[in-house]
Amino acid sequence: MSGACILEVKGLSIKFGDFTAVDNVSFCVDRGEIFGFLGANGAGKTTTIRMLCGLLAPTSGSALVGGLGFEDGGLGIKKIVGYMSQKFTLYNDLTVGENLDFAAGLRKLEPSYAKKRRKELFELIAFDKPLSSMVSSLPGGIKQELALAVSMLHDPEIIFLDEPTSGVSPASRARFWALIRRITGLGKTVIVTTHYMDEAEQCGRIALMRAGRLIALGSPEELKKSAFSGPMAELDFKGAESSQFISGLEKAGGLLELSPHGMRWHAAFKDKAAMDAALSALPASASAALIKPSLEDVFIRLVEGTER
Amino acid sequence: MKYFNIHRAYSIARKEVMHILRDPFTLALALGLPVMLVTFFGYAIDFEVKDINLTISDRDNGTSSRRLKEIFAASGYFHLVEPGQAGPVEMLDSNRASAALFIEPDFSKKIKGGSRAMAQFVLDGSDNSKAAAVMGYLPGIRRAAQIRMAGMPPRERLSAETRFLYNPELNSRWFTVPGLAAIIIGLLAILLTALTVAREWENGSMELLLSTPVRPFEIIAGKLAPYGILVLAGVSFVYLVSRLVFGVPFAGSHLLFLAACLLFITAALSQGLLISVLTRQQQVAMQFSMIGGLLPSMLLSGFIFPVESMPAFFQYLTMLLPPRWFMAAARGITLKGADLGELAVPFLALGLLSAGMLALAIKKFKTDLE
Repeated sequence: MSGACILEVKGLSIKFGDFTAVDNVSFCVDRGEIFGFLGANGAGKTTTIRMLCGLLAPTSGSALVGGLGFEDGGLGIKKIVGYMSQKFTLYNDLTVGENLDFAAGLRKLEPSYAKKRRKELFELIAFDKPLSSMVSSLPGGIKQELALAVSMLHDPEIIFLDEPTSGVSPASRARFWALIRRITGLGKTVIVTTHYMDEAEQCGRIALMRAGRLIALGSPEELKKSAFSGPMAELDFKGAESSQFISGLEKAGGLLELSPHGMRWHAAFKDKAAMDAALSALPASASAALIKPSLEDVFIRLVEGTER
Repeated sequence: MKYFNIHRAYSIARKEVMHILRDPFTLALALGLPVMLVTFFGYAIDFEVKDINLTISDRDNGTSSRRLKEIFAASGYFHLVEPGQAGPVEMLDSNRASAALFIEPDFSKKIKGGSRAMAQFVLDGSDNSKAAAVMGYLPGIRRAAQIRMAGMPPRERLSAETRFLYNPELNSRWFTVPGLAAIIIGLLAILLTALTVAREWENGSMELLLSTPVRPFEIIAGKLAPYGILVLAGVSFVYLVSRLVFGVPFAGSHLLFLAACLLFITAALSQGLLISVLTRQQQVAMQFSMIGGLLPSMLLSGFIFPVESMPAFFQYLTMLLPPRWFMAAARGITLKGADLGELAVPFLALGLLSAGMLALAIKKFKTDLE
């Protein structure tokens, strides 16, 4: 199994004092995959990524990142991975060229090689501004793409992106995800954290994290299937009195999950019979439609949902 | 080299230079502070007291009393003001005069007769540094008066003559301007390094640095070197101005002075790094630097207040502060021409404190990154 994995994590944990930030996490990432981490703030996504980039030493457990472990304090790993952190990590008061030169200098890249990579990456991210542009003068989306290019200057096999699209416009987010797909198309592996559901849908596989634990792992479709074995209905009361029906529904057997979505409700049932029984009591003015669960429903059920 | 790569350190240093060149605040501080300090201490702040308003109550009005007044006026230290309607005491009370001279009614007669003539000098003691300076002028004036009026120096069995070595005129610029190097290093080096590392944490760019194979030593060397050079440039500026504009002598070895500067700069840069690592915020780092950089250099180094006249506790405290030792070394070298043997204690202390501070900063920086 380990032959196919470019990233193999076994029982990885890290403690800060008494606090266990990442608790016994194991998974495997294939070459060329877009692997997403989904979870609330503080669930341990960033900490996991920082360990796998060689920035933090795990308390216990092991990982092979591109075949390398933590034996040398993460130095070997740092050479073969690219990392783009949550915060914007380029220097606003330097030009695009100076930022790239600095990154090349830190990684001791040959000037000719750095120049070649720069050209390739500019083509990849479709960057057409002059090298002498100040980073501070660029729009937010372009800055993010440039930060990605800087993290890929040394042509890493694995690229870690920690919430790369936080704070950029929806159009820029879409552009950035198209870019991520282009990168994995080149055979690179991308590991990305997000808390946007639409972004998570675009990942090959998703690792759901809560309180430092990996609570579910699979493709978006697999997660939906495993979280909801039965059908799901969207209820629209169209302004009718709903509280009595809702409390009745909650008491009835066969309900897996009930959550408000704006003016509507999503109700998941154990099976079709349970759904039909429950919906027969629906007020006349209200309507119900059979829907496919979204990742958001999965997230609510698995991460935030209370056990019933 | 396994633990240090000069190329990576150089990349960081080059980037740091670009930050300096593009940041108006750093540039203004680095260039402006030495100019401002030299102007302040060279011209504006003069520890010599001159033009003291002196009011005279002359109840004799004879030739000798007039001569005495002339002597006071000619000394250059006093500016005579007429008491007018108000008496001399009222002049002192209302701050129109800081000193008053009372000449007794038969002053001239007594001088002529060869007996002891009396004049009373009253001094406003509310500003004691001023009063102390004026007190220092009096023996000279008395001596001048005696020679001019009695036609001979006072006959004394035992006379003590004072001659000041190294700074014969007690020119306060000679004393303060070499000390400015301590202020410039103490403030600039600490403040600038404290800001640079804190800025990196604040921006999040420290993550970028750390995600590369760069090592803590390379970050430290790359970050400190440009500021070390910048501060050394400031010190050179003060040196040139003090030599060319104020004519301050330089009696000792330039090499030794450079060594003292480098040691103190190392201590100050390390202190800045330590502040930066501990605070991680530019605002807080700036406040800490002001307190930890400017105050010891200014107040506890002997720059203004002599260490010997501090309370015992502070005298011991200053021993832990690099500026005190640097000040001793700087003054010893510039004015006295002292050599390394004579300055063994300050140099040893400076070296130990610098090494200790650097080791502490590196250790804290390294554990912080891990």
